[in-house]
Amino acid sequence: MEIKETAVAGTLESSDIQIMLSKGTDGIAIDLESDVAKQFGNQIKKVITETLTAMGIQNAKVKAVDKGALDCVIKARTIAAAQRAAKTTDEPAWEVL
Amino acid sequence: MENQIVDLHLSDRATRQKWQQFLESLGIHNFSDAEVDKIDFTLGLLDEQGQLVGTGSAAGNVLKYIGVCNKEAVPGARFNAIVSALTNRLFQEHRFHLFVFTKAKYSASFQHLGFKELAHSDVAAFLETGDPNVDDYLAAVPRVAGQEAKKVAGIVMNANPFTNGHRYLVEQAAKENDLVYVFVVNTDLSLFKTSERFELVKAGTADLKNVIVVDGGDYMVSYATFPAYFLESADQTIRYQTTLDARVFRDTIAPALNIKTRYVGSEPLSRTTGIYNQVLQQELPPKVALKIIERKTATNGNYITATEVRKCIKDDNLDAIMGLVPATTQKFVEDHVAILQERIKEGMNINGN
Repeated sequence: MEIKETAVAGTLESSDIQIMLSKGTDGIAIDLESDVAKQFGNQIKKVITETLTAMGIQNAKVKAVDKGALDCVIKARTIAAAQRAAKTTDEPAWEVL
Repeated sequence: MENQIVDLHLSDRATRQKWQQFLESLGIHNFSDAEVDKIDFTLGLLDEQGQLVGTGSAAGNVLKYIGVCNKEAVPGARFNAIVSALTNRLFQEHRFHLFVFTKAKYSASFQHLGFKELAHSDVAAFLETGDPNVDDYLAAVPRVAGQEAKKVAGIVMNANPFTNGHRYLVEQAAKENDLVYVFVVNTDLSLFKTSERFELVKAGTADLKNVIVVDGGDYMVSYATFPAYFLESADQTIRYQTTLDARVFRDTIAPALNIKTRYVGSEPLSRTTGIYNQVLQQELPPKVALKIIERKTATNGNYITATEVRKCIKDDNLDAIMGLVPATTQKFVEDHVAILQERIKEGMNINGN
């Protein structure tokens, strides 16, 4: 899957995460803002990277603003952003879910 | 406690009054028509009783008039809710690169939401979020081999349109430096459109081999950094906006491109630009030297200004602009005089910048 345009999913409210995906050239580069980055930063990045990789995205710029999201939320928001960015929202990625 | 996001239509007088009172109670006081008229949409946050407890607006890609009341609420929750609603609305419109101008004390709150601070002064801060950001902008600026060791200068101009005065300024800088960046203001609020101004600067400096003409993007005298350049504003407003504009240049743009000197023309005529030059003088050195070049005069002894050129266009007096502008600009004006006059007739202000 290829990123065609910048896209966003999620909000900035408590327990959510906002994921912005745009075209990248240098693998999956994640810029994470989180109050719990020290404790969970690596785990959050891991979930995002694994989800994108499972969807077949190798290159992307990711800007993530975390407000204490659980892994399932991170995954859901990442999938939504990726499908919007790839313009495939009408073909749900069941195998990744 | 469930808060609700609603659209506030400021054209409705009662809504506008309620909105303004709410913000005034939070210490926001600038409601000049010039500012408020530029707002594209305004959101409100209502509590269970339907009371307004937060609001935020957007003008282009700039967030404005954000205020929340935190009484009886989880600290930050309402602020995050309103900023989240605003940014999501803008993302839906495919605006992914957003700015905010705010009081310095709120900078941290925005940084918690992923905004990056570009500059701050004692009173105000300027932040951006989204994509592309300032690093992407700088990465796209052309560079020359061995630039770190070269003497590099920068000029920022609106060039509405490019005159012999601009040309003279660029020539002086080109003579005294190995490389000169000319940043063209990228805001379409001038008689000559951004693309036209950019092409005329390029055409008018094409023979100067060490000059690179660059789009100033959102970072130099743009509508985001320095709205007072385009809107009639009080001295104090101009001063605090230009302070941030100068600091973005000094701390972010100049170091990335090894720019050691900024050139400006002396400013005897425009009040706004005059204050801007003073502020640059205060803010840039010693990191970036400021060189003020005495403004060029025409053969009749008057200063060459783009304002004069625009007046000639309006008065259909094209002979008078000869000597004021290079041949490239002259030709463009002659070829497009009808459409330029049409723009003036439609209300384009030609007396500002």
